[in-house]
Amino acid sequence: MAELTPVQIFRREETDKYFKTGTFYLKLALVAVFFMVPFVFPSFKVIDLALKIMIFAVLVASFDILLGYTGILSFGHVMFFGIGAYSVAMMVGKYGSPSYVNLLIGFIIAMGITIALAMLISFLSLRVKAIFFAMVTLAIAEFAIIFATKLSGFTGGEDGILISMPGIFKTSYQMGTFLGLEIKGRIITYYFAFIVSLGLFLLMLRFIDSPLGRVLQAIRDNEPRAEAIGYKTFVFKAISICFGCLVATILGGLYVMWVAYANPESVLGIPIMLDVLLMVIVGGMGTLYGGLAGAAFLMIAYTFLPDLQNLTQSLLPNAHLLHSIMERWLLIFGVLFILVVFFFPKGIIGTIQDFLLQRKATSSD
Amino acid sequence: MAETILQRWGQKFFILGAMTLFLLPLMGMDFKTYLTLTIAGVAVGMMLFLIASGLSLIFGLMDVINFAHGVCFAWGAYVAFTVFKYFESLVVAPSVFKNLLVFFMAIVAAMIVVAGVGIVVERVLVRRVYGSHLFQILITFGGMVVLTELIKIIWGPNDEVMPVPATFKGNWDIFDVIVLKYPIIAIVIGLIVYGIIQFVLKNTKVGKIVRAGVEDPDMVQAMGHNVFLLFTAVFAAGAGLAAVGGVAMSMFTQQVYSEMGGAYLIFAFIVVIIGGLGSITGSLVGALIVGLSYNYVAYLFPPLAMGVNILIMVIILLIKPTGLFAAGK
Repeated sequence: MAELTPVQIFRREETDKYFKTGTFYLKLALVAVFFMVPFVFPSFKVIDLALKIMIFAVLVASFDILLGYTGILSFGHVMFFGIGAYSVAMMVGKYGSPSYVNLLIGFIIAMGITIALAMLISFLSLRVKAIFFAMVTLAIAEFAIIFATKLSGFTGGEDGILISMPGIFKTSYQMGTFLGLEIKGRIITYYFAFIVSLGLFLLMLRFIDSPLGRVLQAIRDNEPRAEAIGYKTFVFKAISICFGCLVATILGGLYVMWVAYANPESVLGIPIMLDVLLMVIVGGMGTLYGGLAGAAFLMIAYTFLPDLQNLTQSLLPNAHLLHSIMERWLLIFGVLFILVVFFFPKGIIGTIQDFLLQRKATSSD
Repeated sequence: MAETILQRWGQKFFILGAMTLFLLPLMGMDFKTYLTLTIAGVAVGMMLFLIASGLSLIFGLMDVINFAHGVCFAWGAYVAFTVFKYFESLVVAPSVFKNLLVFFMAIVAAMIVVAGVGIVVERVLVRRVYGSHLFQILITFGGMVVLTELIKIIWGPNDEVMPVPATFKGNWDIFDVIVLKYPIIAIVIGLIVYGIIQFVLKNTKVGKIVRAGVEDPDMVQAMGHNVFLLFTAVFAAGAGLAAVGGVAMSMFTQQVYSEMGGAYLIFAFIVVIIGGLGSITGSLVGALIVGLSYNYVAYLFPPLAMGVNILIMVIILLIKPTGLFAAGK
């Protein structure tokens, strides 16, 4: 074995140090929590919440690759999520039978459409100004919603598509018990989604730490300069968009495997886009882990908002204005969104990271 | 070689091609239907122009894409709805004078209220994020959500039927062709507003400052004009224009609903992308293209009505990515 160069030694030390830090164990603990959820809380509601947090966390992280790491704002990200969901639902439900092959074909078709569409949108709108991308994607996303709603013969319209899953993903599938937990189709779907989401998240971490990801961050920080150094920024942006959208598509497929239906409201709507935006802003732009924080915050808020409404109703039965405001929780989220953008533009994770860095800096002095 | 010819003549070719394209629907319908659809299309185009021109002007001067612009449109419609409800006796009265009076009251009220909303949005939200497109979009998008929800709180979340004064209903019979009154009135309103905007921009001192601001705001500031006051004023004026558009459109479709802002914002985006951001004439042409093609396709093949606008937008982005009449920066 050859002698190690000083750089290699330094890197090895850095890696060793990383495995001894608290954040590493925190991340491991998070993975463990998601792994243990079905064993500790075998109720459907909790597993459902955990899975939605998981999928939305990775979806938000994929959105963050565009927004936080490349500096492109897309309003069509949920559309790609919807393409994945609809494609899988159509192949397994409406135009095919529940089989593993159809499931796979559904994913593959969705990914093909996504790459084509993402390329088309980037070629069309990135040529002029980055803001065109936001406008064009918003228009196309709206068109996708109208398409899914109006062409009811093809897409199932407002009612959407109900599906049942093949083989081991079927709700009625039984595989006996393991450590006191009945292994049903639902549990298997949960772990399937868990493994795929974890894989996608690790892939994204690798993506942003790769030389390609560094170029993207350079583009975000100073595009003319990145161009002057010699990078074709257009190509890099297009790659980033395609990658982020592909991840969203796969997640859409996973989501539909869990909820077993796809309709415009549940997988395509502008409200979901708003949710994703809010999650990425609350969690923190430019930190993939922010997605997890944001998704957890919003999903848990959604779960407890009805309770909060009932609470205010019982505590202050006469404050009608308050009740009508509580009913419109989107208003609260909108105000929250604006406040976070103004005062915590780095979100939860970004602010914590800043704080830790500051403490490190003061302690080392 | 082919490319250079396309570059040199692309715009003229396009305008010629577009003009022939608008005769194409004649093949699928008889002349009377065509005329009716054309008038309705031009009317819709005029109303889209009202919302798009403000968006375009705000972008041209301040370099801000205002996602809350559509919601100003909806607010205008709702304010007019309130005025019509409050003065219901004037609305149903068979007198032309009373009908026009309540109509102008509604327009003025909508403009004042929505210009106020515009000032608040500009001062509270946009003012803090000049220079950063990303944050502008995020902030104005948040503003859109909040303002839409406020509509639901103030006026209720349900769709409402918009009362229309009696004078604006009915139709004229011209040489056996039945022409609805309201689209003609809407076209006239649109043309008047276009004339006023052009007059103000071309012939007044404020207009000159605004046009100079579109070219170079820093220089205007250096010349001793208060650019930030100008920004607020143009923002309010743009919101007021959108409000007029909202009043006109809600009277045309005879309904108001809380989500209408978002729906028409998409149209406005398509219009300004086609026409070119920052140009008033571009907004007019883009709006007419969108309104006409939407109406034709909605008649010939309903499900694709939205798709044809996206298609036109895509074609324009391919041929001339800056839009037909790009101005300023």
